[in-house]
Amino acid sequence: MTRYLAGADVGGTFTDIVLYDAETRTLSVNKLLTTPDDPRRAIVEGLGALEARAESVVHGTTLVTNALIERRGAAVGLITTEGYRDVLEIGNELRYDTFDLQLERPAPLVDRRLRRPVPERIGADGSVVLALDEPAVHQAAAALRDGGVRSIAIAFFNSYRNPTHELRAKQIVADAHPDLVVCASAEIAPEVREYERFSTAVANAYVAPIALKYLLELERSLGVPLFIMLSDGGITTARTASEQPIALVESGPAAGAMGAAFLARQAGWDDVIGFDMGGTTAKVSLIHGGLPHRSHELEAARLQRFKKGSGLPLRVSTIELIEIGAGGGSIAGVDELGLMRVGPRSSGAVPGPACYGRGGEEPTVTDADLIRGYLAPDRFLGGRMRLDRSRATAALERLGERLGLGLAETAAGMARVVDNNMATAARVHIAESGTDPLRYRMVAFGGAGPVHAYEIARLLNVREVIFPRGAGVASAIGMLVAPRSVEYTRSLIMRLDALDWRAVDDAVAALETRGRAVLREAGVGDDEIAVELSADMRYVGQGFEVTVPLDRTSQSRRDAAAWRRAFDDHYARRFGRSLDMLSVEGVSWRVRVGAPAAVSELRFGELDSRDDEALIERRMAYFEECAGFVEVPVFARARLRAGGTPIAGPALIEEAESTAVIGPSASVVTDAYGNLVMTLSARPRP
Amino acid sequence: MESGLAAPRNRGIIDDPVALQVVWTRLIAIADESAATLRRTSFSPIVRESNDFACVIFDAEGNAMAENTIGIPSFNMTLSRTLAHFLKIRPAGEWRPGDVGICNDPWLTSGHLPDITIVAPVFAEDRLVAWTGSIAHMADIGGTLWSADTREVFEEGIRIPPLLYLIEGRVNADLQAMIRANVRLPEPVLGDIAAQIAAGETAARGLRDLIAREGIDDLGSISRAICARTERAMRAAIAEIPEGAYRSALDLDGTGEEPVHIEVAVTRRGEELFIDYTGTSPEVGRALNTVMNYTEAYSCYPVKCALDPGTPRNEGTYRMIHVSAPEGSILNPRFPAPVHARQLVGHCLAAAIYEALAPVLGERIVAESGSAPTLRVLVSGYREDRRRYTAILFINGGMGARARRDGLSGTCFPSNVVCGSMEIIEALSPLRIWRKELASDSGGAGRFRGGLGQDVEIELTGDRSATLSLLVERVRHPARGVLGGASGAGSRVVWNGRDSGFPLKGKSPIAAGDRLRVRYAGGGGFGDPRERDREAVRADLEAGRISETAAREVYGL
Repeated sequence: MTRYLAGADVGGTFTDIVLYDAETRTLSVNKLLTTPDDPRRAIVEGLGALEARAESVVHGTTLVTNALIERRGAAVGLITTEGYRDVLEIGNELRYDTFDLQLERPAPLVDRRLRRPVPERIGADGSVVLALDEPAVHQAAAALRDGGVRSIAIAFFNSYRNPTHELRAKQIVADAHPDLVVCASAEIAPEVREYERFSTAVANAYVAPIALKYLLELERSLGVPLFIMLSDGGITTARTASEQPIALVESGPAAGAMGAAFLARQAGWDDVIGFDMGGTTAKVSLIHGGLPHRSHELEAARLQRFKKGSGLPLRVSTIELIEIGAGGGSIAGVDELGLMRVGPRSSGAVPGPACYGRGGEEPTVTDADLIRGYLAPDRFLGGRMRLDRSRATAALERLGERLGLGLAETAAGMARVVDNNMATAARVHIAESGTDPLRYRMVAFGGAGPVHAYEIARLLNVREVIFPRGAGVASAIGMLVAPRSVEYTRSLIMRLDALDWRAVDDAVAALETRGRAVLREAGVGDDEIAVELSADMRYVGQGFEVTVPLDRTSQSRRDAAAWRRAFDDHYARRFGRSLDMLSVEGVSWRVRVGAPAAVSELRFGELDSRDDEALIERRMAYFEECAGFVEVPVFARARLRAGGTPIAGPALIEEAESTAVIGPSASVVTDAYGNLVMTLSARPRP
Repeated sequence: MESGLAAPRNRGIIDDPVALQVVWTRLIAIADESAATLRRTSFSPIVRESNDFACVIFDAEGNAMAENTIGIPSFNMTLSRTLAHFLKIRPAGEWRPGDVGICNDPWLTSGHLPDITIVAPVFAEDRLVAWTGSIAHMADIGGTLWSADTREVFEEGIRIPPLLYLIEGRVNADLQAMIRANVRLPEPVLGDIAAQIAAGETAARGLRDLIAREGIDDLGSISRAICARTERAMRAAIAEIPEGAYRSALDLDGTGEEPVHIEVAVTRRGEELFIDYTGTSPEVGRALNTVMNYTEAYSCYPVKCALDPGTPRNEGTYRMIHVSAPEGSILNPRFPAPVHARQLVGHCLAAAIYEALAPVLGERIVAESGSAPTLRVLVSGYREDRRRYTAILFINGGMGARARRDGLSGTCFPSNVVCGSMEIIEALSPLRIWRKELASDSGGAGRFRGGLGQDVEIELTGDRSATLSLLVERVRHPARGVLGGASGAGSRVVWNGRDSGFPLKGKSPIAAGDRLRVRYAGGGGFGDPRERDREAVRADLEAGRISETAAREVYGL
């Protein structure tokens, strides 16, 4: 049994290292500046500075997503079916903005000259229509190699039905060019729809060489086993991760969502909205039964960050996060119609909000929060940065003049617009998942999350909000608490009323065997392993599937009717009705093989042992409900003790990374884990 | 916001640049939620894979307030017209909670029968406060297959006048039975109507929530305020066009028997724009006729793209644009003219309008698109197990070049239909798609090159024959370039090695084993090709987007 387990989260500014001691169940934290030229340096240094040596390390990385955004991947070639050379370039043919005649599509990751067609063809039923032209594969690979590629993706039409041609071609290329990375689309994303599958395979090949190098070198310099956070919130060995690096595309954000889920679960909450508002964006995740929602599709490297359809589609099992262009740095202005707009344009870290005094002139959300009295100018980031109120005032007044609003109105208006943008996006997301917002509580983190959580909660009719202790290192915590698990998929389109049980059994067994092998390598005993089955299902004739968990006893009892009922229930919950007259089919079958997380409880040491008065000061803060500025008490979070009497809003609770705003219709207490728990008073539901 | 400020509520919202933004953002989100429901629950591959639908929300008087973000441009405008027809026949006071209206009459809706329009009132506390509407292209509508060779609208399928599909929440069983009996694919069609109703319910829930949350007691005044602001933005943009009349003309392949000639005069007078089609061909005996609703929609849309692309659209957007076409012309046909393939003419209006405005708006327009009109190939028949299939290939030609950018290859404009997966087509029908690739040299040469068209090769596999319907234009009239740019490559269909002897706008029997090679047209170029950046020419050559001959002779490399 491992005693010391470490998590390492590399962010844009800070690298967070956390060390968990399994004996005492306590956590120690080390925050270092990130070393962008070589992120490993900060990790190694941070681990070295801890009081005990970690026996294994879990790491979440933005390497893959950044490589796609910045186009820093390897030169990659594509060998594909003759007639389908341009799948990546043609895409789905949609203009993702109805009115913009100047829009551009993302350039494919493979230039046209490096896309080589070969004769071969699999039919829609999986039969071989045209045999693979093996000499053509040889030639294509040689030409690509001469063209300077370091990796090759093989993506054939209909390979989701029968991967033999792809696998054979992969073998040929690997044998002839052992120095190249080769991957086959049916291994990376064995799902129907050529554009999405090809895109995923090519993205994988594109990032594979750099991911492989990074992960193996990191493991070597650590000298202890390295585990990597996957996009879906599981962790796996560095070696397995490097085989399918595209699965790391959301590795960083997934860790944050896992951390939030854990901190909420520890507080006794299962159904939670994770609300993480930082400098540029806000991220919303839904957590059910203590686990973040997963989906199997996402878009990477969008040309227009908040426009669906402007990025590269990926079929990857991932924690579902919606990203909204709303953060502390979001800039407010006047739109074409004379209305106030906030975001998605952001001032970023440089020049930053006007109040940073680094040359920013435009009014940002942080400026508005300062004017509203929510931020202490001399205690921002624990006093490391002084906020300049006069610059914020000037920036907001310029905007207010154009809109005919006073200073306070402008600040309140900016908050209202940005809060509504976030709440609206969250509401759409909740509606699409087919659940009722009333069942949720909220976990708020990120620098601006605790400032805006009260209003968001009111807009979503959420009654309780937790500001977790450790929110500043939620991602690193997510790595410690993530289960070792992997998920594998196979497309097999089959009607439930005519199920070929043998084919299902074989597919599921093969996926399970593959998963167990990975877990065994990760040091998991067979008796610890749990296997979950789910399927993407739909009514025959529909084009979208919903992922439904399936119980395996029905599989052994050959009870297709039970699976049908599971689908109908799921569908009805999500869309309001089920359609009894129609047949149901399974499209993709998914097997998740996992072990329980190593960490089940986390405690922090006391931050501030002095028994000082928690009340720091009283200052004026703006609340819409109070129709203006009122004097509110300001508390130091570190000095609040568990089990104290509830603090009634309006009040502000400060810590180094953020300020929790407790509104007039709320009160807050500290729980046994050091979390702040805010309760909003009941409000009639509209 | 609990108001401690005692201002009257609505007056507050209307005059408040914050509150109005909040409400409008929410209205658009509600339309998007509605669209998500429709797409997710739809059965027709045309809706869910190809995006051929739209959702709109209206105020109590029937003015469009907001629409889903990526819809079909024409649908959003025609929906307003359809709702107005409904309200003429059945005044607002006669609608009860749970009533849902249905209509697909081409003259009252979007110009052909396969598009079904659904509208429903939204009640909040017993008051009618808003309307929801959606329009979606059905998988089938009876009659003949989607084709251009009909002679009267009666051949084109079941025509549903404005009727109630749900009466106080209960299905109008007689009407439903009538529809069921008249379409080839009753389950998907009724499923899609149900999906449209569900989409309306989603929007209604959102609207009621918004009204309660913001304490809105007069949505109409908010709608007027929003529409007035969009109207002002559009008027200001129009006023920037130099005053005057701008003309152009366009010829199309048409049926081959009767000419199809479009003539347009675009006149800017004050803050108003007049688009008049006097001089355009009379209506034809085949299904290319474009009803006025559709003519109007595809005349206004390109104007907005060029002049005011940044604001969301609503009822105010097009108020100052006046579209006219002589009654009895191909752009304003009389009942019961055939209209099934009206897109073959309607999609080309953008080209005529941009051509006319090119001298004054050159920077903001695009050259003619090879994807206008959309080229469609349909194959319908029975599978071995007697199941009916109808496969429609929603593949697109190239878009025209822009003033500072190449045209987008394989992109739909002015319509905005998604091309679904060919693997899905193969899984659902006996078609095998051997090739779907960019066509070299198909983009019109220019300082900026037109988008490339595509080469597609289709085989009917199995041992059963089927019916093929071709909707092909731009064979003899390729997409023209502007301001010195060259035309893109035209369309072409080669059937078992022959490129003639079969109708390009009609139905034919197709035998198992037959192969079709279809060229989807390229977009026109923008500006003189000899002024094209030399690096861009070399890159195109290296990637095979242009041939060596073209590089040398057309671009002068």
